Amino acid sequence: MRKVAIVGGGATRCGKREATWRDLVQEAGKAMFDSLSNLSPKDVDSLIVGAAQPERSAFQAHVAPMVAEYLGITPRKVLARTELMCASGQAAIRYAYACVSSGLSDVAVAFGVEKMYMPDMAEAQTNMTCVLDREWDGVNGLSAPPFFAMTAQRHMYEFGTTKEQMALVSVKNHHYSSLNPLAQFQKEVTVEDVLKSLMISPPLQLLDCSGITDGAACVILVPAEDAKKYTDTPMYLAGSGQANIGNAVGNLASLTDWVPLRMAVEEAFKTAHISSDDIDIAELHDCFTISEIMEYEAFGWCERGKGGKFIEEGQPYIGGKVAVNPRGGLLGCGHPLGATAILQALDIMQQFRGEVPKGRYVEGAKTAVAHNLSGPANVHSIMVYSR
Amino acid sequence: MGKVEFDKINRSETVKLPFMLDFYPLEDEKGTRISQFFKNLKEGRLTTTKCTKCGKLLWPPRIVCSNCLSNELEWVDLGSEGELYAFTDMRLGAPLGFCEDVPFCIGIVRVGDVLMSTRIDNAKYDELKIGEKLQLKIVELQDGRVFYRFAKLKEK
Repeated sequence: MRKVAIVGGGATRCGKREATWRDLVQEAGKAMFDSLSNLSPKDVDSLIVGAAQPERSAFQAHVAPMVAEYLGITPRKVLARTELMCASGQAAIRYAYACVSSGLSDVAVAFGVEKMYMPDMAEAQTNMTCVLDREWDGVNGLSAPPFFAMTAQRHMYEFGTTKEQMALVSVKNHHYSSLNPLAQFQKEVTVEDVLKSLMISPPLQLLDCSGITDGAACVILVPAEDAKKYTDTPMYLAGSGQANIGNAVGNLASLTDWVPLRMAVEEAFKTAHISSDDIDIAELHDCFTISEIMEYEAFGWCERGKGGKFIEEGQPYIGGKVAVNPRGGLLGCGHPLGATAILQALDIMQQFRGEVPKGRYVEGAKTAVAHNLSGPANVHSIMVYSR
Repeated sequence: MGKVEFDKINRSETVKLPFMLDFYPLEDEKGTRISQFFKNLKEGRLTTTKCTKCGKLLWPPRIVCSNCLSNELEWVDLGSEGELYAFTDMRLGAPLGFCEDVPFCIGIVRVGDVLMSTRIDNAKYDELKIGEKLQLKIVELQDGRVFYRFAKLKEK
């Protein structure tokens, strides 16, 4: 196993973009290669494209070679597309990591892209309904908001978590995204704004939910021993974890305790030789406000059921116990499925390099985690990054 | 060089709800090996498969036991009463085919020894409670296919 580093990357602005799937690909790819003076598309031997639903939202399959063509990459080691819904980008990084670590690839691009805005909003929502078991859960109208609404309901019922506590997650993440020029939402919100926003699926309101987002991002992975050829400030992949239990909504380990997340955390901490106290930055999957609250618990920063209190005390802010989502999270930056994990990795790299705006800069950060959940939170994927 | 011609073409077909966007599965024996589930539903019975080798109760119904890989499964009744474990209301963001139903209640119910998601009919979100008993209900689509739902018990 070789140690692996990320030496550079690029991204598009996220949001409702007046651009096609392939426009987004070109924007992100150009941004990445423009930022690297010693590395061109011709040097890339492998390309992994994280894309959740191009067949539905861009009516295009076999997308990895299309990305290669548009970026002038001629893959000769590994070429694939990864689909793991909301964690498709994390799967791309994980796949590229495995390829470089094993020696199969020497220069691998992990690419993430999603075009989610469609002329008919109901069609965009329909796409999201085949994420769960379509014949047994999707058929009941169950998509992400109703599923996480029931998760929130149970968390409130079992632990007394409040809507105000959930709203505080949205307030924090919008605060940081207001300082992120790539973010979909660059305006601060208040608890009152969240509680007055449109009801989507009670108890979840519009500002409890991450957006429908277009966006793309990419990073380059190389063996750590080669990293300094390309940059003075590489970011290392220090460890990782991934776990899955069940799939149909009735077969999950628990609605209010994400057991597979605890498993993935344990594996990530073990492989990176760290504990929860070592983490300076956590880019967590806040697809809904309740998700981030449950993640505080599973990562071990607070006890089970105390996630609401943790945000109430300001612990996940910069300067608190751990800086959670100083990028602005999915709530603030948007959630272009395949691109999300790559955007997280890129922002952590910029944090390590001191390239982010002051108000969301985590000074002296050395260790960070990026986490994505997918489906009905039955799958959790984590990557640990270090300077 | 000839003059470039401009022409209008017709794409007049209207697609109502294509197979790929139909949430309800194919139900008869030509399309699925668990057609018995739907035959049972038509008789008012909510059933699932149970492994006769290892005894594992399997939801959703299937043709191979995921616990011991045996394909010797039997159909067992789950009963017609559900206990509400969690619920919500679809207010915004319904998929195609369900837009006209909004708002509608969705829940997770415990039926016998399994948990399953379901639509909840005859219910208002504000009047539902975790733990309340719901009654099995069968709905039939225009084309004859059937599916299960649960409904709030009628006031006595």
